[in-house]
Amino acid sequence: MLGHIEIVELVRYHKLKHNRKKAAVNGGAAHNYDHDHDHDFDQDLENSDADDPFDDDSNHINGNGVMHSKAEDETPLQADEIYDTLAQLVAAGVVETVSSSMFQSPQDLKASIEHECAQEFPNGVRGAKVISEFDAMVKSQIKAIGAERIMTKRKLQESALYEPSNIKRRKLANGGMSNGFAGDSGGSILRDEPNTVVRLNFDKCLVELRNQRLAEHADDFVGETTAQVYAALLASLCKKVYRCQHDQHTIMTGEEEESYFRGVNVTTEEVFDHLSSDVDVSVGIGTASEEDIDIRFGEKIRKYPPQVQGSRLQGSLDAGDEILGSDDEEYDPTGERPKAHVNGKNGWTAHNGDHSEDGPSSRAEQIYQMRQHLLILAEAKQQFVRHCGRNEWTVDFGPLVQHLRYAELDTMIEDSFGRQGLRLTRILRENGKLDDKTLPAMALMRKPDVHVKMAEMEMAGFLEVQEVPRDNNRAANRTMFFWFFDEARTLRRVLDNAYKSMVRCMERLEVERYNKKHVVELLERKDVQGHEEDKLRGDIYDEYLQLVDMEKKLLSQVSRLDDLVSIFQDF
Amino acid sequence: MDDETAALKEQLYAACEEACSSDPDRLFTQEDLTALDVIPPKDIKKLLLLIQILTNERLFAPVHLHSGLAWRLRPKTEADKYKQLSSHDQVLVYEIIDAAGAEGAWQQDIKRRLNIQDNTLRKALKELETKRLVVQFTTVENISKKMWIKANIKPSSRATGGPWYTDQFLDEAFIEALQSVVMSFIKNRGSYLSKGERSARSMSPVMPKKGVINGAASEAAMKSKKRTADAISKDDAPAAAPAASKSRKTIRLPLPAGYMEYPTTEEITAGIQAAEVAKGQPLKQEHVQELINILVWDNRVEEIRMGSRVGYRAVRISKQNPSLYSKPGDDDFWEPRHNGLTTVPCGKCPVFDLCEEGGPVWAGGCEYFDQWLA
Repeated sequence: MLGHIEIVELVRYHKLKHNRKKAAVNGGAAHNYDHDHDHDFDQDLENSDADDPFDDDSNHINGNGVMHSKAEDETPLQADEIYDTLAQLVAAGVVETVSSSMFQSPQDLKASIEHECAQEFPNGVRGAKVISEFDAMVKSQIKAIGAERIMTKRKLQESALYEPSNIKRRKLANGGMSNGFAGDSGGSILRDEPNTVVRLNFDKCLVELRNQRLAEHADDFVGETTAQVYAALLASLCKKVYRCQHDQHTIMTGEEEESYFRGVNVTTEEVFDHLSSDVDVSVGIGTASEEDIDIRFGEKIRKYPPQVQGSRLQGSLDAGDEILGSDDEEYDPTGERPKAHVNGKNGWTAHNGDHSEDGPSSRAEQIYQMRQHLLILAEAKQQFVRHCGRNEWTVDFGPLVQHLRYAELDTMIEDSFGRQGLRLTRILRENGKLDDKTLPAMALMRKPDVHVKMAEMEMAGFLEVQEVPRDNNRAANRTMFFWFFDEARTLRRVLDNAYKSMVRCMERLEVERYNKKHVVELLERKDVQGHEEDKLRGDIYDEYLQLVDMEKKLLSQVSRLDDLVSIFQDF
Repeated sequence: MDDETAALKEQLYAACEEACSSDPDRLFTQEDLTALDVIPPKDIKKLLLLIQILTNERLFAPVHLHSGLAWRLRPKTEADKYKQLSSHDQVLVYEIIDAAGAEGAWQQDIKRRLNIQDNTLRKALKELETKRLVVQFTTVENISKKMWIKANIKPSSRATGGPWYTDQFLDEAFIEALQSVVMSFIKNRGSYLSKGERSARSMSPVMPKKGVINGAASEAAMKSKKRTADAISKDDAPAAAPAASKSRKTIRLPLPAGYMEYPTTEEITAGIQAAEVAKGQPLKQEHVQELINILVWDNRVEEIRMGSRVGYRAVRISKQNPSLYSKPGDDDFWEPRHNGLTTVPCGKCPVFDLCEEGGPVWAGGCEYFDQWLA
């Protein structure tokens, strides 16, 4: 069931699944966890077990309002719906159609294309001109392959029904979710090619998961409303983002290449259109008197992404571009309050905080308020967004994800070694190597305490120490000890630990299941599956519930670890 | 010493005194002294003589620099103290302690430099002490060292450890308390405290969330089909309910971007002084900066630059406990962050590296897992 599948197969499976009763524990555990980072997505497709540990009600597909409600699952899905849903997923890029070239590794593919192209040059590829011609040829071939791969997607996107605004229109017309829509729908396009093979597009899934994760991060650091605005921004931005990580072998279409090299940005209006109307943008920001706010700083435009220097981030908030009047020093005057909407209140200050007396707020007013959230995000230390032009916003994913990694690392250090441990490692991260004497002074901690903490952290592998003898006889009292924090190594280590912990959870699960073998054996019986409560004896049923509980706990833990892994490795 | 020399000596000393009135630690090289226009130019012999006399009278203290010899001026009152000294040893010892200034001199160091007997040194120190010229003190850097300092000056802040030390011990309770003062100051000045009054109004039946939808429908409908449809498809209660329940409690909110009044180090210092929390220990700005740095490293506070103004604000402001005087150590100080490795028992496991199937410990029989699953 993993990997790729023909559409007809998928539909057949889905029907079958709905005739079957809810899978029991054994069914659930065995195939649900597939060690990929796409639970949400294949959940929607393959799985609707109520007691599935990963079934976290994610209706979120690509944030542009394509809802795949769980409610649908209660009534057996119609084949039409499956096609339709699938078409939506393909159009959104979450599911992709498989072509034979995908089974080749990108390197091989490139090699074979190069081989083919080389035959066009019977005289061999020599000389600058010929080489550049050859390269251009190879490039265009690769692009053609990329374009061919997304052909179905393009077709579906073009079949006007899957334009976001049209989905809405259709919903309006039907007054309900997208079912039973005959005619030239995306579903019918797929139906015409029942042998199309599809698979999950992990690259795109990762982008969506990263968005979710970043929105959570914003929720944690700034606030709920702001995070919702951020999610809207990411959703609109990431329509043009196809993967999280690129390497030289990634096969891209021309359009993908453009968005990769030139970066993507969205306008305030686009963000607003993606914002659900449930979000009340007027809350979540405090009030300050107008004279305390300098719009020139709040609205500052940063045209260029921050430079990543080694592991330290030189955010654009740093001294460099603080000089007023430099070329880069621009601010966005559109941020000034639309005076027409003040409604006789004392300026705009009254609008952000604890009030909403003027009831119906206009679109301009709402956009204004939403912008305030975006500006806060831009101002944050993490640089959630970059205000890259008048009313234009972008996200520098690289540095931001790096921030995210450090945040998780800090969380772990603080959890295991307390605040002081965190303090010491952060000092080392900022200052590089420090000796035994400076550290306690900087951390304002007692020397013995520092030593105990450092030793603890060294044992756990978070810190390292370098010994520099002052003379030839390496006596301990004539040796300087320099502590340091090897970031790259620590990040790798944490990733390893996450994997190991995952394995241990699985191991434990196996043991627990073995211990409850008598229950599991009963559950494997076809007549018991789905009727556990009626068929099982009281005490056995209790044990069964315990087992289910434990399984949930362990598997959800695995999923959390998996989230961590994706932060450290995939995003 | 004839009259002329004596007069010249007085003149030179007075000129030097004047030259270093702004900076008492100024050093004079030979060129500096010639440039004072007291000695006839090129009369090196005279200069040498005068310096010799002044040095003998302890009014000049020679200092060895990389570039050569230089002299520091010694006030007359200090120079007079040398006259009280009765033995050569005392003079030598006192010279070293005098030169060490506020840092103080280590007894072992004195001994090594003078290359004298322990007894002689002890005797000399004893005599100096009875004359109230030197006192013994301890430095925080090494409590066991016997340190000596001139009786009329206080040990340097490096030796006493500044305000953070009380009787040579790091006063952790004091630091902790001050940290929480700084923290609450930053929190209060750099965030908005929402008292939840809003909820009462926005919950009133007159003012339902409809407003949002109307607004969207009227103007936005023209431009954006999507929003309108969205609004209509779920046009009811859930929109208002969560917002209301949330705003009812008191929470802290971030301030709008471009806020200029995040407190700076100076303001925090002034705030602490005004609050009179550290009465006995006047805190200077650099000390407050140390406290702020700690909070930054602890991930509690972040620096925010607005032009040349460097302010500080609390991180994760919405997760901060709104109670004004919660201590940093309190559990409810803020919600700690969590991730997969902090919740799984393995994250904190002391035997993580030993754990394997068939090993001394393994997940199947792990007691941490037992506790966690129970």
